[in-house]
Amino acid sequence: MSDTVERPADFDTYWQDTLAALAVHPARPEFEALLLRSTEFATLYGVRLTSLGPYRLFGYLSIPAGRGPFPAIYYAPKYQSVLEIIPQGTANLERSRYVTFALASRGQRNSDTPYAAMFPGLLTDGIDDAAAYVFRGVVADSVRGLEFLLTRPEVDPARVVVVGNDVALITAAIARGATHVVTAPALFHDTVALAARTRDYPLEEINDYLRAFPDKRDAVRGTLAYYDLRAFAPRVSATTLLLAGAPGAVPDAAALEPVATALRGPVTRHVSERSTYRDGLYTERWMAEQHGISDVESILPEHWR
Amino acid sequence: MPRAISSDYKARARTPDDFDAFWAGVLAQAATVPLAPEIVPDPLRTSDEIEVSQAYYTSIDHVRVAAWYCRPAGRRGRMPAIIFLPGYQMDPPIPKAWARKGYAALSIAPRGKLRSLAQFNPGYPNLLTHNIVDRHTYAYRGFYVDCWRGVEFLLSRPEVDPDRIGVTGSSQGGGLTITTAAMRPEIRAAAAGAPYLCGFLDAIELTHTYPYEEINDFLRRHPDSRSAVEETVEYFDGINFADRIRCPIIVNIGLQDNVCPPETGYALFNRIASADKRLYAYDGHGHDAGRYKHGAVVDEFFARHLGPDA
Repeated sequence: MSDTVERPADFDTYWQDTLAALAVHPARPEFEALLLRSTEFATLYGVRLTSLGPYRLFGYLSIPAGRGPFPAIYYAPKYQSVLEIIPQGTANLERSRYVTFALASRGQRNSDTPYAAMFPGLLTDGIDDAAAYVFRGVVADSVRGLEFLLTRPEVDPARVVVVGNDVALITAAIARGATHVVTAPALFHDTVALAARTRDYPLEEINDYLRAFPDKRDAVRGTLAYYDLRAFAPRVSATTLLLAGAPGAVPDAAALEPVATALRGPVTRHVSERSTYRDGLYTERWMAEQHGISDVESILPEHWR
Repeated sequence: MPRAISSDYKARARTPDDFDAFWAGVLAQAATVPLAPEIVPDPLRTSDEIEVSQAYYTSIDHVRVAAWYCRPAGRRGRMPAIIFLPGYQMDPPIPKAWARKGYAALSIAPRGKLRSLAQFNPGYPNLLTHNIVDRHTYAYRGFYVDCWRGVEFLLSRPEVDPDRIGVTGSSQGGGLTITTAAMRPEIRAAAAGAPYLCGFLDAIELTHTYPYEEINDFLRRHPDSRSAVEETVEYFDGINFADRIRCPIIVNIGLQDNVCPPETGYALFNRIASADKRLYAYDGHGHDAGRYKHGAVVDEFFARHLGPDA
């Protein structure tokens, strides 16, 4: 039996209901200037927001000095416990040119009260029930983060890129406002089938779960059907950079091709060169080019210039 | 075209006169704390191939440290062991891959990491500068000891061959590999990738990326504390531990590493005392430090020195 799943008949309803439930709760943002992380070229704020639940989230908002509006990078929630201001290894000077906003979804550090997620563990939390699956909340959190960012007057709404894993692409599909997406899918494309091809986490979480609870296989497949990127791709009109693993990685470019071809907007495919330098440089240059930043070299890490 | 890096780069790190006395005092204090090792089988993560347990032990300041402990399932007799030490922002992984190669594998979550944060949790960012003006309470004092105590945990396990223990990690895990290999003579082989916590004072000028940027943030906000910060980090700089390393060791760096500057990797390597050492410098690579290609080098290195009979 194939583990590849089809789009559920009530896919749209599931997500409409999720967004409707999110809309019940205003974000009620609360700001605190973080002087320790502020510089002459950017001010950092800790931001608290309400999301689905209601659940209170935390994020880091960096605003460049000078007159905006500025292009914006939204770092959607990652699959790790730590929330970074900007990703490790990114030149701090990036904050001089972009508004950046990094959000911790429920369970991540700074958003871990009352729910503290485990890593590994988050991917299968509630996975046997689509209505209770923790990622329903995580996706809602990510949407709330983008909604918040778009309320900021410093942001140029014509230049907003969502960066992250599968959650970034899903966010761009179901929320308004993302003009660009940089996505490195790792969780929600053909999940059960691809998990069987690897023993590496996070997909190994699926293998662990199905080994422990074999009778829940159909329920897991049923839940994951609401999260499969192929179902979201036709709703993504943003210009997309799809970062695929090198050949043999799970998932690699071949595995992701159905997602790439289903995207409604323009898509650039980049296959990992197994170098964080080469892949990172490609991404930074792509974002800068898309956002009209002509001197990207000045905001690259020193060892990449 | 990125600039060329000099392989004889001279770092600012200078070993304090009382470096040995400081750490002897720390170790003496740690020795008063019973280890209290414990393993709790984790059936969810266990398979026919790998036994997975959650492990715990007590470290200095009576902080309870968590770890993942994996073994090849059904294996009889003593086996070699690997300690895996985590990166700065990494959630300590379940080291099934090492167990699959025939090792007992301990993946440590030092204080402040997920599963070890009930008693100490400065957060990220913040760990790097937590009490950085006082070496006696600096975050990495306990953090380092937590890693070193992992050796004692392995020695408490009847299935571990005490003469075949290795240590590895990358980034922060690489820096911790250096200090662990330096301070624990039981370590018989070490593989350090993209070592962090080495050449602090150079790194904060060579790069302006997090996590090192935390120190620049701190100094910008607290300029009067610069001398205290500089004094403290000398006690924790991996370069100042390097001349204690006697076991075989390999180090890999990326020449375009934007997180841990390659200059500091060279400076570290040049200070390592072991006669059996080798540096792998990967051009065209950043903080991955050539991981994809280097993985096979690490496997062969440990197989040669620890001899797993997988």
